[in-house]
Amino acid sequence: MSCSPSDLKDYFFGELSPVERGRVEQHVASCHGCREELERLRLTRAALATLGEEEPPRRIAFVSDKVFEPKWWQVLWNSGPRLGFASALLVAIAIFAHGLMVRPVAPPAQRVAAIDQAAFEARVAEEVAKRLPAAVEQAVARNNERVIKLVADSEKRMAFERRADLVAFEEQVEYFKKRLDTATIQLARAEGGQVQ
Amino acid sequence: MIFREVEDRDLIAKARRGDVDAFNLLISRWERRIYNYLYRLVGHREDALDLAQDVFLKAYQNLGKLDDVSRFAPWLFRIAHNEAYSLLRKNRLETELAEPAPQTPGPRMLPVEVRLAVESALARLSPDQQEAVLLKIYQGFKFEEMAEVLGCPVSTVKSRLYTALDLLKDALAPMNVRGVE
Repeated sequence: MSCSPSDLKDYFFGELSPVERGRVEQHVASCHGCREELERLRLTRAALATLGEEEPPRRIAFVSDKVFEPKWWQVLWNSGPRLGFASALLVAIAIFAHGLMVRPVAPPAQRVAAIDQAAFEARVAEEVAKRLPAAVEQAVARNNERVIKLVADSEKRMAFERRADLVAFEEQVEYFKKRLDTATIQLARAEGGQVQ
Repeated sequence: MIFREVEDRDLIAKARRGDVDAFNLLISRWERRIYNYLYRLVGHREDALDLAQDVFLKAYQNLGKLDDVSRFAPWLFRIAHNEAYSLLRKNRLETELAEPAPQTPGPRMLPVEVRLAVESALARLSPDQQEAVLLKIYQGFKFEEMAEVLGCPVSTVKSRLYTALDLLKDALAPMNVRGVE
């Protein structure tokens, strides 16, 4: 093996397979330049290590807060058998969809039984006979009430009109009476003037 | 490491069901790494802390989208990467115009001149190279995981990292001569 800086650095960082590592070690044992290079790398790393780590100025911690907590579906989704849950969900959806699409066929409608015409007519006649007198009576009563109300309204209206006519007549009489008085006074004044 | 992954897996499962306490426990395991990664990317402690909070909030809200729980770390760092670059894009103009903010030294960074030399060497790298170094040297990700975090092929990741390492080797050579371990 010839000198390979890249392999030497890979060796230095422990990134080689055991076989490759053995090959590099064999080479380094017989190569002064590579041994020196390895030593320089070691010293450089030691120098860099003097830049030690610091403690953070404050500790980092979170409090339980709804804002930061995962949603219920995230918890469910991350709860483990994710695939199983998804499969179960798919099966449930498929069953539901199947139930929607393949509905049972409704039974054919039953034929309406033949109607007994004569019995039906007899029943109608009976019902009519039973209910008609009462209905007629109710209708007559309603009609009578309506007539009475109309007559009453008419009389009230006529009385009002008569009263109005009477008031108008009285006003006319009053008017003519005043004109008569005025004419009488004028006549008297005219006669008095002629006498003088 | 295996136990940690197993416990993380358990906490993630509980958090997915809305268990905030389990998620807070998960945060306590990762906040230091995420904070430091963000701090190295954005160079500001308060911004890094705010971003870290946003990162964990987004992680909580999107835990359901994490298909492979064993990939939690690269997935989380991918969110952090996106958040950091979103802020950097927003602040790009201000960052370019403003003077570099004086950094207060961290309590564990000794000695001072080494730390300054390393920071200076890192600052000379491109942002892509810097992030490759952060993910490999400081976070210990595999190339494949880095590719996931950065959203680019493994070959690109390796190219960025190795170019960065060559630059860092040259920049830090004087210290290496003096012996830094």
